[in-house]
Amino acid sequence: MRRGAGAIRPLVIAAALATALAAAPATAGPVDTPGFTSAFSCSACHGRAGASRADAVPILAGMPAWYLKKAIDDYAAGRRPSPEMEPFSKMVKTLGADEVAGYFAAQPREASQSKVDRTAIANGRTASATCAACHGEDGRGNQAKGTPDLTGQPPGYLLNQMKLFKAEKRSPGDATLTSIKVFMKSIDDKTLADLAAYYSSLGR
Amino acid sequence: MARMSRRDFLKASSGAAVAVSGLAGCARTAAPTAMTTPADLAPTSGRRVIVIGGGWGGATAAKYVRMEDPSLEVILIEPNTKFVSCPFSNLVLSGVRSIGSLTFGYNALREQHGVRIIHDTATAIEPDARRVRLGRGFLTYDRLIVAPGVDFQTEQIEGLAAAGDSVLHAWKAGPQTVALAQQLKEMPDGGVFVMSIPPAAYRCPPGPYERACQVAWYLKTRKPRAKLLVLDANQNVISKPALFRAAWQAYPNLEYRASSKVVKVDPAAREVTTEFGDKVRYDVVNVIPPQRAGAIAVAADLVGVDKRWCEVDHVTYESVKAKNVHVIGDSTIGIPVPKSGTVANSMGKIAATAVVHLINGRAAPQMPPINTCYSWVSDSEVMAVVNAYRIDNGKVVQIEQKLTPGQSTLYAQHAMAWAASIWADILA
Repeated sequence: MRRGAGAIRPLVIAAALATALAAAPATAGPVDTPGFTSAFSCSACHGRAGASRADAVPILAGMPAWYLKKAIDDYAAGRRPSPEMEPFSKMVKTLGADEVAGYFAAQPREASQSKVDRTAIANGRTASATCAACHGEDGRGNQAKGTPDLTGQPPGYLLNQMKLFKAEKRSPGDATLTSIKVFMKSIDDKTLADLAAYYSSLGR
Repeated sequence: MARMSRRDFLKASSGAAVAVSGLAGCARTAAPTAMTTPADLAPTSGRRVIVIGGGWGGATAAKYVRMEDPSLEVILIEPNTKFVSCPFSNLVLSGVRSIGSLTFGYNALREQHGVRIIHDTATAIEPDARRVRLGRGFLTYDRLIVAPGVDFQTEQIEGLAAAGDSVLHAWKAGPQTVALAQQLKEMPDGGVFVMSIPPAAYRCPPGPYERACQVAWYLKTRKPRAKLLVLDANQNVISKPALFRAAWQAYPNLEYRASSKVVKVDPAAREVTTEFGDKVRYDVVNVIPPQRAGAIAVAADLVGVDKRWCEVDHVTYESVKAKNVHVIGDSTIGIPVPKSGTVANSMGKIAATAVVHLINGRAAPQMPPINTCYSWVSDSEVMAVVNAYRIDNGKVVQIEQKLTPGQSTLYAQHAMAWAASIWADILA
């Protein structure tokens, strides 16, 4: 405490209160939104309400609930190996995976702000024909085929996932993904980065 | 309420000029008045939450109370006008990051969330009167959240208090971090850098071992004949031991000595003494002192019989010793979580939610905290420990702890993503 300032401190406090910001409207906060409390731990990495602004972490906001639940199940069971997400997925299941997935699915989708290069996008578009067979021409995925919406996701995240598939580190041993992994192994990392740029650019 | 993107926040806060707080302006222009203690200053909106401490826990709590119930008035009392991140500050020692890149303002809390910030130090808490002393005045509250972090038990090491700034801790990111980086830079090649690790519990269990990696990496690349000697009061590396020991294989210039508690420092002789009487000469020394809860928690007797840490309810974070007073972050004990930034941020959200519920006459939801600790083992590689918890019969219990299988640049990407996200979660 600075000496000598004590005498005027009450006035300081009074002045602070008198000149306070206008009181905020007494509206209900988000605390009663279903899933808000169960999901708020996730914002430490996944951004406010799942709107990740980080290049290496996926956006959860606006992703379909079925996909989020599948990801939680796969992480928790170790089918999608991740030392970070395995414990947290187990925690989400104790809190209620439906509620957490439903919360993020209901949040407005905001595309990644990570920079993507025009040439990379054009090259990625050209290389995307094979991907479109399962992820759709628009990249929005297909629940029947179990493929996620890729649009607007951070390019760093998309690239890392393709590299993990290629290295048999994502969903290792999953027979349904064998052909995809064979395909990815045939693509060089530069083209994977182009694909990441292209799908990230969609929906921006 | 206008939203600020994370990018805008990071742009606006790092390195930007600090807006001088209106309160400070008042302090300078107000005419001195008679030394009378005013009547308790009642909250203008009817219900007020005060948060003491604007670090990882307190700033988060202040923001989340306002987000969850905008009808509540929130006053944050924090002496520093800038927030400097302790996580990643070991990278300042190795020159991998600048302190400016870890420094943020409180503007968004004020402007985006309507938190009222007083840059001052609370000197007393009166739980019965529900008021906090600030200078000669008092602020009343409905609920108080105390997040004072740690303070150092300087008296535990002979000569440390008298050494002043000639022996640095650099365990609260800021000027000491910059000063220690400078000392390291100026150390002669062939010199000895000695760091001492206090007995657990202390802030950030893996932090000292990460620091050892950063200092060793710096010496290896810049002063190949110099040496780092780590004197640990603990019997072994207390966080991620196998991972750190594996990472240290890259640093033959690093010598680690367990069970080597430093009990004395002599800056004139440039020497530290361990409890077994071993004397060690240094060119640069970094003494991380033993720690306890921040001063206000001790002054307000929120600490337990150990006089160090505060026991709290595992669901509401209400102190077991004072009603309507919640304690979060590094000051707490008894919850099976590390004293980490992620935990403090997590506790900030949970305590804010509990306070909002309790103040509105509702039961607090049972939310467990989370933990993630990323550790930089070089300029580019990171490893991590992750803990997930649940609430069982009103107590926090661990579901699982996982370690990364090793260190990698992928985890470095995750670490940077975590940092950007959590800084925004706290302040934006």
